[in-house]
Amino acid sequence: MVERSYRPTGHTLKISDRVVIVRLSLLVIGFAAAEGAFAQNTADIASDPNITFESDIRPLLDRYCVRCHGEKDEIQGEINLRLVKTEGEIDAAFGLWQSALELIEDGIMPPADEPQPTAIERDRIRRWYQSRFIDDIAPHPGFFRPRRLSAHEYRNTLESVLGLELDVLIREAEQTVTEKSLVMKLLPTDPPGPSGFKNDTSANPLTSTTWEQYTYLVDNGLQRLFAAPHRETLESYLGPLDGELTRDQAEQLIRLIAFRARRRSVSDQQLQASLRKIKNAATDDLMPVLQSELKAVLMSPTFLYRGLLMNVPRDRISPVDDFELAERLSYFLWADMPDAELLGLAEKQELQKPDTLHQQVDRMLESPKARSLAIHLGVEWLTLDEIEHVSNNPPVADALRIQPIDFLHYLFTTNRPIVELIDSDVAFINAHTAKYYPLDRSQLPKYKRPTGIEVERLPNTKIVLRKTPERGGLLTMPGILAMNKGPIMRGTWVLERILGQDLPEPPADVGQIPANRRGENLTFRQRFEMHRKNPNCAACHDKIDPLGFALQQYDAGGGFRRSPKNASKKQKLRASQADQQPPNDGEFDTSGRLPNGETFQNFAELQAILVTSEKQRILRNVVQRFLCYALCRKLEPADRITVDAIVQKVSQGDGTFGTLIHAIVESLPFRQTIWQSIEERP
Amino acid sequence: MTWRIDRRTFLRGAAGPLVPLPFLNLMEQTASGATAAAPPTRFVTLFKPNGVHPPSWNISGGSEFDFRTSPLMKPFAHHKSDLLFLDNMGDFGFSSHANSTRRFLSGHHRNTKSASVDQLIANRIAGDTAHRSLELTTEGLFPNQIGCSYISYGTDGAPIPRESDPQLVFDRLFRSPLRDPVRRSEMTSLLDRVGDDARSLSRKAGAEDRRTLDQYLSVVRETEKRLQNLQSKNSTIPKVAENIERPTTPTNLNEQVESMLDLIALALWTDSTRCITYMLGNSNSRMVFDFLGITEQHHYLSHFFRNFSRSNLDSLLKISLWHMEKFDSLLNRLKSYRDQHGSLLEHCLVLFGSGMGHSDNHTATRIPLVLAGQANGRLKTGRYVRYAKNQQLSRLHLSLLELFDVPMESFAETSKPLPGLSDSDFQPYREIPFASWVRHESDTITVQGRLRLSDDLDEARVFYVDVENTKSIRIEVAFRDFHNFNLAYHCGTPIKLVGTGTKQGDDYLITKISDLTPLHGNKPGSAPG
Repeated sequence: MVERSYRPTGHTLKISDRVVIVRLSLLVIGFAAAEGAFAQNTADIASDPNITFESDIRPLLDRYCVRCHGEKDEIQGEINLRLVKTEGEIDAAFGLWQSALELIEDGIMPPADEPQPTAIERDRIRRWYQSRFIDDIAPHPGFFRPRRLSAHEYRNTLESVLGLELDVLIREAEQTVTEKSLVMKLLPTDPPGPSGFKNDTSANPLTSTTWEQYTYLVDNGLQRLFAAPHRETLESYLGPLDGELTRDQAEQLIRLIAFRARRRSVSDQQLQASLRKIKNAATDDLMPVLQSELKAVLMSPTFLYRGLLMNVPRDRISPVDDFELAERLSYFLWADMPDAELLGLAEKQELQKPDTLHQQVDRMLESPKARSLAIHLGVEWLTLDEIEHVSNNPPVADALRIQPIDFLHYLFTTNRPIVELIDSDVAFINAHTAKYYPLDRSQLPKYKRPTGIEVERLPNTKIVLRKTPERGGLLTMPGILAMNKGPIMRGTWVLERILGQDLPEPPADVGQIPANRRGENLTFRQRFEMHRKNPNCAACHDKIDPLGFALQQYDAGGGFRRSPKNASKKQKLRASQADQQPPNDGEFDTSGRLPNGETFQNFAELQAILVTSEKQRILRNVVQRFLCYALCRKLEPADRITVDAIVQKVSQGDGTFGTLIHAIVESLPFRQTIWQSIEERP
Repeated sequence: MTWRIDRRTFLRGAAGPLVPLPFLNLMEQTASGATAAAPPTRFVTLFKPNGVHPPSWNISGGSEFDFRTSPLMKPFAHHKSDLLFLDNMGDFGFSSHANSTRRFLSGHHRNTKSASVDQLIANRIAGDTAHRSLELTTEGLFPNQIGCSYISYGTDGAPIPRESDPQLVFDRLFRSPLRDPVRRSEMTSLLDRVGDDARSLSRKAGAEDRRTLDQYLSVVRETEKRLQNLQSKNSTIPKVAENIERPTTPTNLNEQVESMLDLIALALWTDSTRCITYMLGNSNSRMVFDFLGITEQHHYLSHFFRNFSRSNLDSLLKISLWHMEKFDSLLNRLKSYRDQHGSLLEHCLVLFGSGMGHSDNHTATRIPLVLAGQANGRLKTGRYVRYAKNQQLSRLHLSLLELFDVPMESFAETSKPLPGLSDSDFQPYREIPFASWVRHESDTITVQGRLRLSDDLDEARVFYVDVENTKSIRIEVAFRDFHNFNLAYHCGTPIKLVGTGTKQGDDYLITKISDLTPLHGNKPGSAPG
């Protein structure tokens, strides 16, 4: 009912200057399973179905792993192998096995000072994994489960059903932050689900608080629908209104709202209870009866959940019905219910036709609603909400945050190659962000602040980067650099969000990097490297650090430091805040060596590596994130086949987001389902 | 029957007739035996952002019972007999917006661990009202200095979220399903309907994964149970509330605020709450008053020295006058709503004001503060109380706590309540005689006299020192001198000022200040407020 109180630190990422090993945020945990999944293509490894967990694998774990991961009070990396007992638990932990296998392959685990498995033993683990999680897996779309609409999906859907916006009356003076949506203001914030995305509400059940807010929102929405300012909307549904609604119009409205709310055709038979009440209502009572019937429609589980009315045979894999397909499409691309055109095609059973489907996807990507992909998929995947905390000045924070969103929207919806995420010559800037693009800012129309306006939010302009080699792609966007302060956070973010690698939690006792002693003049990097020689640290930091230190030439605010020797006081302060003091010779050490042995001197060279030899890894990560978001669930072992096929597809030619989105829409888990009760599932 | 409050009538303000509202006898509805008791005293705060243009606000001269209201007070001057004008409130040379806002109801900006005075009073007077207090506003949060967005703070000193939408406030006050039996029975039948839906889906062949539907049904059952529990308790909303019409969607700020003022009066009248704070904007509001034909941001205009132009100042005054009109609107409503004990205003104490005085220099002296209403006879109105010395706001707060019977030894580092609220027992401001003169040597001018800000709106950056038997000495300096010597702080007091300037005929003009000494030793504290 009231605004959420302001929490200056709340879930903010507060990183003290010298914390060494960091996790982006707790949100990341949700990714654990999905992220580790299929990070590496192991298709060429031989498998052996005769290897069993109990007789062949368990003894290896006991010998080499459980001393740290399961035996002591302090379980390293929060991984307890003792907890995996039943066959079901072994299967459920497939992501864990994937990461474990990778660590063993890379020689990172067991740590160098511990007993090491023999080559034969390593091979045994590899073969077991291959047979259990790859070869034995048949194509499977995943079991169907009804899913409650997330808060933003609920907002969009309710507004689309009623045909009006539900907003709060609050003045948007400059530099203030307002929540304009009544729905978002009242509904509890969705936590990211097991897939890492908020649209995965599987772990976020309905509560009575949410229920009450739903009833209030529906009341509020219906009240608006019948109020004078929305007369036209109502007339567009029912024809000219002469005062109160007639009984016929009331019936018509029930049919229309029920059709939209259920997102599929509905017969009078199905609506008979409501229609009877309308019929029997006394004239004076018609409006209250109509309102309470509409409310029942909008509070019914068929509105609040997706999929309850899907019409498919039980217990066997079969295509989803047309209306379900329309919903899957629209919630994927728009985070909203299907529009009239999609529902019309579903009603005529034409949506499944490949050409029609393809055209519809293209049409949907052209719609302004497709911005939801950047706003939800993009923001949640890349943790872009963290940028809000970069500046206290909302127009500036807003400019920094809108930059990657506009960029992603451009990549996603205009069929740009996926690698442009990393390397692109397009940027979106406004007067607040122009300073980061000094030689290209002339492409921005001159901004003159209107008289009497001290500061204001501004839209972005798309520019082409011609003279700004230090920018381009997500990694060098000022807001993203600024939200990840310091090389370790930046490296972690690139590793997790871009390369899709899952990192375990750092141990609790990592301590801090000591300051320079008297007479010492070491850079943060030099001191840090001394500190992290411990092989336990190296396991992750060998991967994190080169990525992070490559970005050392960007200061804590995301600015690019051309000449460290002539840095201004402010720049020096920022540099010290970001642990970036340049060494004595005034040159930044941005060189590094990746775990695969490749070396680079600066970020430009790293960028070149990312789009070539690391390209597969990045594509795989992007495919997995998109698939998780589209399916609203975390990925399962059977999804590997789909992921492999789509990665294969986008690896050829330009490998655009358009190709990716079409491939997902055509994929088995998107198009098919199996409806089976939990008790009967294998 | 529906009582619709005709907004146009209210907008006409004092000039137009007020719609008489039905006599409301709340006490007859209360089943408890306390009907004979005096009506409750209510506390309402109305906050005006961005200070004032002092010459337009300050009352010049006059005494406790014999004074003339200032030009800015014109919109509510007809309530003079119900008002208590406080002057010489606040004692900081400079103040940030955020600090001045915290002090408004918390006494001191360092008082960050305690509840604000409205909350302490609410705790005392809420009784069994449905809402202990309401915190209202018009605009969003200002995260850059978050303190600009709040005047009400809870027991731990944490800001209390505010509500800005009149319809939501109305629903919360008068349409809560938890307190309204009609809404409750609607809810019960809804639960029956949707429960049936869920059960039939669950029975249907193929409708698997019952877990989801079971979850849904268990929430339905839980809500049913809660409603049954509530059924056994008495409703706390007076029956009259059923007939109050929900405010329509406002189309501009003025309508939004008028709607909210309606609700404030209705909430008090129906005894739904007894304590309300309402911010007409954040203390550094950058709202654009387009409906007044103004395109500049309010905060920009409020810095009228730096951003001076006659039209900017006119716009600023227009906005300030609009704020004053809203205060008037509130008072009109509180006067027109009556119960068996008289008008609401007689049972209210309304605090109206801003956090700072001079809006360009952020001087926290002579802060605009007006109290209204009789607070059940505890406030003596129709007076102008100008204290001998600048007063800390915390003293006023301690007096308010006393007035509402909240026993507190001290509040925000003050243990002395402010006298003069309920009687005339205070030390009034008195002129201390002083000699005034002016001397002129080459280009140095030294003058002793009373400093004042020009009241000519065409020269709002000009100050004068009044000297007996001489033409006032004109001071026209750059912002730097205005700010460094804090001319705004010394306005109205005798000073000795040394500066460079010229004399042409009888006209002295000082263009640069080198020294300023207050004759009576009043100096702005150097600590920023």
